[in-house]
Amino acid sequence: MTNHNPRAGWEKIGDQFYQKIQLYESIFDPDLELENYLVAGAPYGGALALWRDPAKIARYRTGQSAKPTIDIYSSSGKLISNINWEKGPIKGLGWSDDEKLLVVTEDGTVHCYFGLHGDFQPFSLGHGAEEFGVKSCRFWSHGLVALLSNNALIAVSSFDEPRPRLLAQPPDGEVHSWSLIPPAYTLSRSVEVLLAIDKTIFVVDATEAEDRGLSDGPFKHVSVSPNGRFAALFTEDGKVWVVGSDFQNKYSEYDSKAKTTPTQTHWCGNDSVLLAWEDEIHMVGPNGAAVKYYYDDQVHVVPDIDGVRLITNEACEFLHKVPDPLEDVFKLGSSSAASVLLDSIELLEKKSPKADENIQRIKPNLPEAVETCIQAAGYEFNQSLQKQLLRAASFGKSVLDLYSSDEFVDMCEDLRVLNAVRDYRIGLYISYEQYLRLTPERLIARLVDRREYLLAIKLSEFLHLPLNKIYVHWASQKVKASSADDDSIRDIVVERLRGKPGISFETIARAAYNEGRSHLATSLLNHEPRAGKQVPLLLNMEEDEIALDKAIESGDPDLIFFVLLELKKKLPLAAFLRTISSKPVAAALVESSARIEDRELLKDLYYQDDRPVQGSNLLVEEAMQQPQVQAVIDKLKLAVRLLTDTKDPTAVLHGRALTEATQLLKMQEAFDKDITDSSGSYLGLGINETMFRLIKSGYSKRAAKVQSEFKVPEKTWWWVRLRALTAGRLWGEVEEIGKNKKSPIGWEPFYNEVLGAGNTRLASSFIAKCGGLQPAERIEMWVKCGMVVKAGEEALRAKDTNALESLRDKANGQQLVEIERMLSHLRPKR
Amino acid sequence: MAPNIDKEAEHIRDKARKELLGLLEGVRGKKNLVIGKDLTGGLGLFVQFSQLKEYGVDKVFELENGNTDSSQRNIVYLVHGEKPSLVQTVAEQIKKLQKNGSVEHEISVIWVPRRTLVSNKILEDAGVLGDVNILELPIFFLPLEDDMLSLEMDETFNDLYLRHDPGPLYLAAKALMQIQQRHGLFPRILGKGDNARKLANLLLRARKELDADEAATQYTSMPSTSIEQLIIIDRDVDFATPLLTQLTYEGLIDELVGIKHNRAEVDSSIIGAAPQQRSQAGSSSTPPPPAVRQGFKRKIQLDSSDPLYEQLRSANFALIGPHLNKIARRLESDYEGRHHARGINELREFVNKLPTFQQEHQSLAIHTNLADDLIKHTRSDTFNRELEVQQNIAAGTDPIYQHETIEELIARDAPLSTILRLLCLESAVAGGLRPKDLDSFRRQILHAYGFHHLLTLDALETMELLQPRSSASALLLPVGGGGSQSEKGTKTNYAYLRKGLRLIIDEYNEQDPEDVAYVYSGYAPLSIRIVQCVLQKQYLQSLHKSPLPLTSSSTGWTGFEDILKSVKGPTFTLAQKPTDEKAAKVKAALAGTGVSKTVFVMFLGGITFAEVAALRFIGRKMTESGQRRKIVICTTGVISGRSIMDGVIEKSNLASGITA
Repeated sequence: MTNHNPRAGWEKIGDQFYQKIQLYESIFDPDLELENYLVAGAPYGGALALWRDPAKIARYRTGQSAKPTIDIYSSSGKLISNINWEKGPIKGLGWSDDEKLLVVTEDGTVHCYFGLHGDFQPFSLGHGAEEFGVKSCRFWSHGLVALLSNNALIAVSSFDEPRPRLLAQPPDGEVHSWSLIPPAYTLSRSVEVLLAIDKTIFVVDATEAEDRGLSDGPFKHVSVSPNGRFAALFTEDGKVWVVGSDFQNKYSEYDSKAKTTPTQTHWCGNDSVLLAWEDEIHMVGPNGAAVKYYYDDQVHVVPDIDGVRLITNEACEFLHKVPDPLEDVFKLGSSSAASVLLDSIELLEKKSPKADENIQRIKPNLPEAVETCIQAAGYEFNQSLQKQLLRAASFGKSVLDLYSSDEFVDMCEDLRVLNAVRDYRIGLYISYEQYLRLTPERLIARLVDRREYLLAIKLSEFLHLPLNKIYVHWASQKVKASSADDDSIRDIVVERLRGKPGISFETIARAAYNEGRSHLATSLLNHEPRAGKQVPLLLNMEEDEIALDKAIESGDPDLIFFVLLELKKKLPLAAFLRTISSKPVAAALVESSARIEDRELLKDLYYQDDRPVQGSNLLVEEAMQQPQVQAVIDKLKLAVRLLTDTKDPTAVLHGRALTEATQLLKMQEAFDKDITDSSGSYLGLGINETMFRLIKSGYSKRAAKVQSEFKVPEKTWWWVRLRALTAGRLWGEVEEIGKNKKSPIGWEPFYNEVLGAGNTRLASSFIAKCGGLQPAERIEMWVKCGMVVKAGEEALRAKDTNALESLRDKANGQQLVEIERMLSHLRPKR
Repeated sequence: MAPNIDKEAEHIRDKARKELLGLLEGVRGKKNLVIGKDLTGGLGLFVQFSQLKEYGVDKVFELENGNTDSSQRNIVYLVHGEKPSLVQTVAEQIKKLQKNGSVEHEISVIWVPRRTLVSNKILEDAGVLGDVNILELPIFFLPLEDDMLSLEMDETFNDLYLRHDPGPLYLAAKALMQIQQRHGLFPRILGKGDNARKLANLLLRARKELDADEAATQYTSMPSTSIEQLIIIDRDVDFATPLLTQLTYEGLIDELVGIKHNRAEVDSSIIGAAPQQRSQAGSSSTPPPPAVRQGFKRKIQLDSSDPLYEQLRSANFALIGPHLNKIARRLESDYEGRHHARGINELREFVNKLPTFQQEHQSLAIHTNLADDLIKHTRSDTFNRELEVQQNIAAGTDPIYQHETIEELIARDAPLSTILRLLCLESAVAGGLRPKDLDSFRRQILHAYGFHHLLTLDALETMELLQPRSSASALLLPVGGGGSQSEKGTKTNYAYLRKGLRLIIDEYNEQDPEDVAYVYSGYAPLSIRIVQCVLQKQYLQSLHKSPLPLTSSSTGWTGFEDILKSVKGPTFTLAQKPTDEKAAKVKAALAGTGVSKTVFVMFLGGITFAEVAALRFIGRKMTESGQRRKIVICTTGVISGRSIMDGVIEKSNLASGITA
């Protein structure tokens, strides 16, 4: 058993215990002058970025490269990479949750380094950053705010799609210090900035800069607690105030009695504040109680969600509040059930019967005790203590009748993971709390970024997490780093990844392409089934035709269209049209979009494809938009000209129709001049409608001229005349027509139309002319005209007694007499 | 446990609403909403305007009107991102807002159903990409009813057959993939027609892509245990059916009034103005279009939320009168019930039912008036002429005999759409018109309706709706199995199928029809017969005179392969095998065999309400005969002969530019 003191490094501040433990020792080269460096650490025990502050004088050493670099280390001091930096002074150095390193230069350019090895994407802050210059920056889990020299604030709330936004303009004046509240903790759900100007604090968000009306400034430091609820203010006279971040309540005050302002002020967890001078640290707990630590050297403070990392040349330490379960178990003189349970383990090992006695004593609280031990194991950093705690928990639960072991099992798994990554060779010293917040997936991602593939795979398998991203990262590195020839690399990669689900060959191909190995990239892309991924890369690689083919294969119109847009920009028109001509889907898309946006292109397309009819149709469409008759006619003539050279029957038909159309338009124009009644313009009407309108308005002669000009068939002509005359109630002319012996459409339409218009008298005159009808139908026709007697005569002729009898019901007065007479006519014969 | 397949429509509705409201909530504060015209109607299917208000929407504008004002700082665009021209419009409006607004706007764009590369590019080119917050709302299928999902895209018919745009196929594939991702793979995909085949290929491809997608974690490539199969029908295997006038009540309303997104706009002179208290359920349940000037139209909701309509919708129109009568009488007797109420309890019961009565009463009034108006149309001379010609052509009489009637209709200035429907129907059924006749009709149409219809006629020809017959019937598909592979047929052979699948049922019991043919008063839609080849083999066998190669356990197309060779396009069956055979077997065993299975029927290019009624009829018949199967109808959109023609007919004439 170990003699490790579980309370090593515990300090009591007020009524709370704090623990400072050493995570790693001798982490940096003793020659490295840490005091001359700017140090930024990624949250959740992540990587450290060191940048030599050029403002400080450095000792010249031979053999050291003079090139300025940003060096990335693990917490254990293992150098992960050097990033060459020749872009001038750094005004902001920070990390995001997903370990992206952000480097902000004075001109407002943000370099976003991802993957820890120097790959980066730059973006510019804009909004006058270049003009005024960036003074400093603050970061939160996935965003940053930059302060310009004119006090303007620019916020970026996402690094995936950075969209810098200007916040409200704060007043002028020197900014003594500043800090921010991350969007997750503000009421407005957007970032808020606390600026110490003059003697007060301004709270700035997107819409306004509000003075909090404090008068005890100037505040040399402003710092916001990790949960955004508190702020620590350091006053000029060496006092620390802890207030609510809404500045409504003041919670505690501490007098540091220091003459100099601390270099840094940070929160350690959510209930204590850390003041750091170069080699001295004050930790202020609730109610102003404090403890002091002294160092030989410069100490750098890296805040985290549940504590701070203290970095010196010799060691990396973690300072945090002792979590409740640990305190519960290990506090001196603790008599909690969990503590008793832990004791009984020792007794058990000594085979002392008191072990059971103890257990029986705490039996009512045993489930809680087990749980506390499990939790405490999680928070404990020392492995032998972890084991002991777990053993206690195991012993405790063996006594319980019904107990779900899930929690115990999960904790064992979590601890295996944690202990594996805390190894100094990996250097990811992450607390249990941080691990829960970071999530296993993101921890794996961090391992992958550190190229710890084997461990990442083992842990993923252990945790049942997908492996695909690890493989893809590995393959991408392989492609980048290997000097073997293209085909053999491809074979290695493909062989290794065969049959594995979720492999993005596109990512690997992109890595190859970025290394300048296009051939390898193309051959890798063939293994990528997702066209959406293939196509953009192929376009980048100038493999246009393949890109178009792949897009068409995918059936995704967006992809196809996207490629087409690119091609259209790149290629000369003729070449573009040639490319699409053999691909009907592409051609169809070009055609339908060009119809709206680029008609000239369409004309070229039809010309090149020899499709005169379509070409002429385009001109017809244009004709329909022309404001003057002559312009319409000109367009139509152009269309006709397009069609003249071909013998294709459709083209001939179109040509003829268009010629007729111009003829008609000319006639209609003339009618418009001559006829000025209220019926409106003739232009654009069809031939039938034109004739109809002319007849209706009483210009039958002109209508006849139209008929002969366009050889309108007799039947149509008669129908149009009939409809127009009845519509115009020109009964005289109808009668006139009725004098004809024959009608090509028969006479029933005359009867029907005229009757429909309400002229029963005239309608009845056509009944006699209708041949080939049954008597019953004629009777009906007469009745509809209200001529019962005539109907009766018809019935009489047909000797239809029944019909007559039914007529009798409809008849009245004189009609009745007539019908009766006819009925009697028929009766005697019966 | 697998999600319930019967609740899919509800799930889609809820999901769409939640996602939209979630996006709106993400834009903090009050905002103005700008909606693309093609989305306004569909939105009403899953969200109510009042709910949008709750989520901070102040005013709603229509994108196409371009009248968005600066009354709110936040502006949210909700637009279909698949059409570059719409994206362009959005980009231009944003630029305009930024330029002349006195307010600095916060602009968000919600692309439906996804953010596209092209939209990025267009916004980038317009210089606004960096200034707008881009979101996406992945809605594909919208539920019209619990058994009916539609992409609700207006332009699909033209996209597919006129412009040959692959867009609708891709979206349909995406929509079906969502169902597969939730419920497992379709164990079998059957299909008929070129586009059906393309869609099936897209589905297979999408599955492969999904396998490779690192983000898709929930997805398992297991065949579903609750879905039996997917049947895909390409509209162009049967153009004739939608060209015929639908004769169900719902179909006829669509033909004569038009139904969009379950709503019809009816002249208020016909059905009366909207009563006040109904405003919640009726006209304003949807975002009212910004232009509220159309005081003469009233929107009525036509879906199963109205139990009366639910009874009427699928019935043949001839029976609507008696139906309404019966309902009126029942209602009256229900009302009379109050006189017989004995004691307080019964009276209270009656009073509780009153609102239902009132609602029913109102609905009865609407439908009586509407039916009355429809009867006016159906009694008209032209309507009957038209119907006669249609039925003669469908029944296979020589179309030449119909030409005189069609010519007369032209001379009498019948609506162009009527004429074109008849000619296209003839073309579809007879494999084209004789070139001489076609030329003559073209000329008559140009003369009667204006020369600008050159464009209309050309479009119809491109769509293969109106074509010349090249020689006798060379283009027709061979008859049955006799035809060798080398014979190239490209058109559906109705003449053969009329017998092979008994498309014409002359006599049937109107009151209690036995066959789907009732929806077109005697013509059984070919599209539906094709579905029956899979689902009702025994029934078709009973219609067919000679025995087909069928056994009682035949599945898929078995037994009908030869007959279906006479239908345009490939006939195919694909089985989707699980990646892990053993696990699938276990899963199938666990699911048991007693549960009913769902059949998805996808109509690419659109479905008519009459066909919907026919599919529901089949569903009922199957249940009656003890088959444990349910049909879910999927489509790209609801169409009718009227909407097809509306989409093709050229709207402006040669003088439009002058008169404008």
